[in-house]
Amino acid sequence: MSVRKLLLVVAVLGLGVIACGSTPRYGGTLRYAMYGEPPTLDMHVTTSVLASVVAHHIFEGLFDFGADYTPKPVLLESFEYQGEGTTVVFHLRKGVLFHNGKEMTSEDVVASLKRWGEFGVQSKQLWNLVISINAPDKYTVVLQLSEPFGPLPAYLANIYGGPRIYPKEVAESAGAQPMSPDKYIGTGPYKFVEWSPGRWIKLARFDQYASPPGPSDGFTGSKVAYIDEIIFVPVPDPMTRVAGVLAGEYDYADSIPTDLYDSLAASPNVVPLLLTNPPIYPAMVMNTKQGLMSNVTMRQAVLATLNMEEALRAAYGDERFWSLESSYFAKGIIWYSPAGKEYYNQNNSAKARELAKQAGYAGEPVRFLVSSDYKHHYDQAVVLAQQLRSAGFNVDLQVYDWATLLQRRANPELWDIFFSHFLTVPEPCLVLFLPGTYPGWWQNPKKNELVALMNSTLDFETRYSIWEQIQALIWEDVPFIKIGNAFFLDIISTRVKSSDHPIMLIPYFWNMWLE
Amino acid sequence: MISFLIKRLAALVPTVLLVITLSFFLLHMIPGDPAAVLLGPNATPEQIAALKHSLGLDRPVFVQYVKYMARVLRGDFGNSIYFQQPVLKVVLSHAEASFLLATLGLMVVILLGVSSGVTSAVLSRTAYDKVFLTFALLGASIPSFWLGLLLILLFGVRLRVFPTSGFVSVLSTGNLSNLRYLVLPALTLGAVNSAVVARVTRSAMLEVLHQQYIDVARAKGLNSANVILKHALRNAAIPIVTVLGFVFAGMMATAVVTENVFAIPGIGRLVVQSVLRRDYPMIQGIMVLVAFLYLVVNLATDIVYTILDPRIRLT
Repeated sequence: MSVRKLLLVVAVLGLGVIACGSTPRYGGTLRYAMYGEPPTLDMHVTTSVLASVVAHHIFEGLFDFGADYTPKPVLLESFEYQGEGTTVVFHLRKGVLFHNGKEMTSEDVVASLKRWGEFGVQSKQLWNLVISINAPDKYTVVLQLSEPFGPLPAYLANIYGGPRIYPKEVAESAGAQPMSPDKYIGTGPYKFVEWSPGRWIKLARFDQYASPPGPSDGFTGSKVAYIDEIIFVPVPDPMTRVAGVLAGEYDYADSIPTDLYDSLAASPNVVPLLLTNPPIYPAMVMNTKQGLMSNVTMRQAVLATLNMEEALRAAYGDERFWSLESSYFAKGIIWYSPAGKEYYNQNNSAKARELAKQAGYAGEPVRFLVSSDYKHHYDQAVVLAQQLRSAGFNVDLQVYDWATLLQRRANPELWDIFFSHFLTVPEPCLVLFLPGTYPGWWQNPKKNELVALMNSTLDFETRYSIWEQIQALIWEDVPFIKIGNAFFLDIISTRVKSSDHPIMLIPYFWNMWLE
Repeated sequence: MISFLIKRLAALVPTVLLVITLSFFLLHMIPGDPAAVLLGPNATPEQIAALKHSLGLDRPVFVQYVKYMARVLRGDFGNSIYFQQPVLKVVLSHAEASFLLATLGLMVVILLGVSSGVTSAVLSRTAYDKVFLTFALLGASIPSFWLGLLLILLFGVRLRVFPTSGFVSVLSTGNLSNLRYLVLPALTLGAVNSAVVARVTRSAMLEVLHQQYIDVARAKGLNSANVILKHALRNAAIPIVTVLGFVFAGMMATAVVTENVFAIPGIGRLVVQSVLRRDYPMIQGIMVLVAFLYLVVNLATDIVYTILDPRIRLT
């Protein structure tokens, strides 16, 4: 079997490393054709995936995720819990420089955490517990909590809206609004050069980068910036992204239609990367606060109706690009669990009718919101709405653009179900709808108790058993219905090489070189 | 002429103010929230409300309008909510790509549309004319995204003579060879728009070619080319110039599909993306630019009329 074929098999199996071989060399420009343009690179205030893809090369956090999705120190030498876990002491690495040449010290970390805590979109679970944060010396930060917070390292490692470390003067001058591009100063292997809206975002190697010690391990360990310059170019049309890589103008392109997989696999210039590790998951979110779906029996009736396979096939086609899976964590992530799977993919209209009858349903419209901006959302919603209609539900499928859907879903009076997709996260505390602030507003006394217990527990085994109970409860109480796993397709030029580069949540280009 | 120009430019002011006012209130009437788009799908309602407050979007629309107008009158169009960069800077950087693309597109239109329209009129009711009419219908029907992708596959991927997509500034680099990025998009835009211009040219020329002064010119022994280009085309040019003006403005402001296919950072793509992001200051800035553009194109068309036909006086 040739190396290329072997790589394809590896990519398909989702175990993957991106192309290997050849001797590492410095130099060159990598051009990345992106499907869109991020709203900002200020990671404290956005959870945009596109922002993370770019900003992950510029900014670093105290922690990040290893290849197995366990959090590991990046800007830290070590950390320790004191007392009963309510005091956390962070020991910073020495000699880490910002892109402006200044050394990163504890005052930068304190200022960054404070700004993220106050304005961050993914900070409140931790920040509500913070009593104080201070810097007793140049390389030590002490966080005092009102109670232990078990997921602390994973929470600080979060790549979608987690606390990246900025220089103190930048963090202190930034408020609720995203920072302007001239303030993008981090400690990462690449520094920000220029953002020309609609044209590109340019990054250049940071020659004084201080890499974390140890072997490369996912987003952690040794990071070597071989490539001189990375240019992220927004190319909205997927066929143009493909043509650009085939013509050698781009080296990487994301969000490629999966029906091109076979023809791309046959091309000598590109390797298709099926992003199975981890997948995304499409889902229906229930309005548990108000209206028809505030009745748990109605939610169970909806769940009993659904045939997930039909919906996934309609949206993603061939079975290579999706899988039936009830676990909220993908296989390979330590939180994977089959708990609650007996409720998944029931496809039982008779049971659904019976449950709806028990709930007192009398044909009122079920307002089901979906956005036409995401074709796979729309395709699945059409199939699922039809299944619900066949089971006797009076479904009012309302199709909006994404901005309108975001606004409407914030008002519990306007909807019963909305459709979206979610990224697999590496830790339960990062599951969006658990805290009960996400639209759908799931509040369940048992869930609240279990989440509080899981968050205040430091031991993994205990936390895992609590998570299994929570996942089972999600399938019983039905605030949210996972449809299955779906795999995006990216492509990479064969001239991009790496020695060991596992596919992770988002693409990253350190430890890679151009042939 | 000078007084005409002053009058037309003075008329620009109320037009632009009207455009700003109408678009401001229309934009704020459509649902959607820029803060929610900016923060991403994970933001809580409290965080969205905090950002709206910080951006001043929670104030009454009329108050926002007054503040916005006060800034605009000082020449400040504000910052883009999405890019956190000055609106004027972003709009002008997109205007360069659009202007160059529309100019090259117009050259293609003149080359293809006007020349084939003239030929078809001269050879009317011949086999060529029938072939031309078929191609004109085909040209008007071809979706630009399809033609664009075919050109990309042929000239970008197979022959590799032109870039598949993207744009590099000619102004900031001073490098005219960067125009190669616009060759395929200009061909796409030009081919699609040529059909309309060709049909207008044909019909205007047919009307003129039946006039008595053309017979007189021929009777005087003038050669055919002289009659067609000097006597007929010049007199048929007014409707052609009118259409070319609108085609140019359209290619500059609304070439969304072509700009998307070729990843050109132009005005059309920017306006659609800004609407989807509900980037109010950006949309307002583009509206002003587009209003200005149409008025300038109209003005230029009027001036060309006087050159083509000295009987027309601008007052």
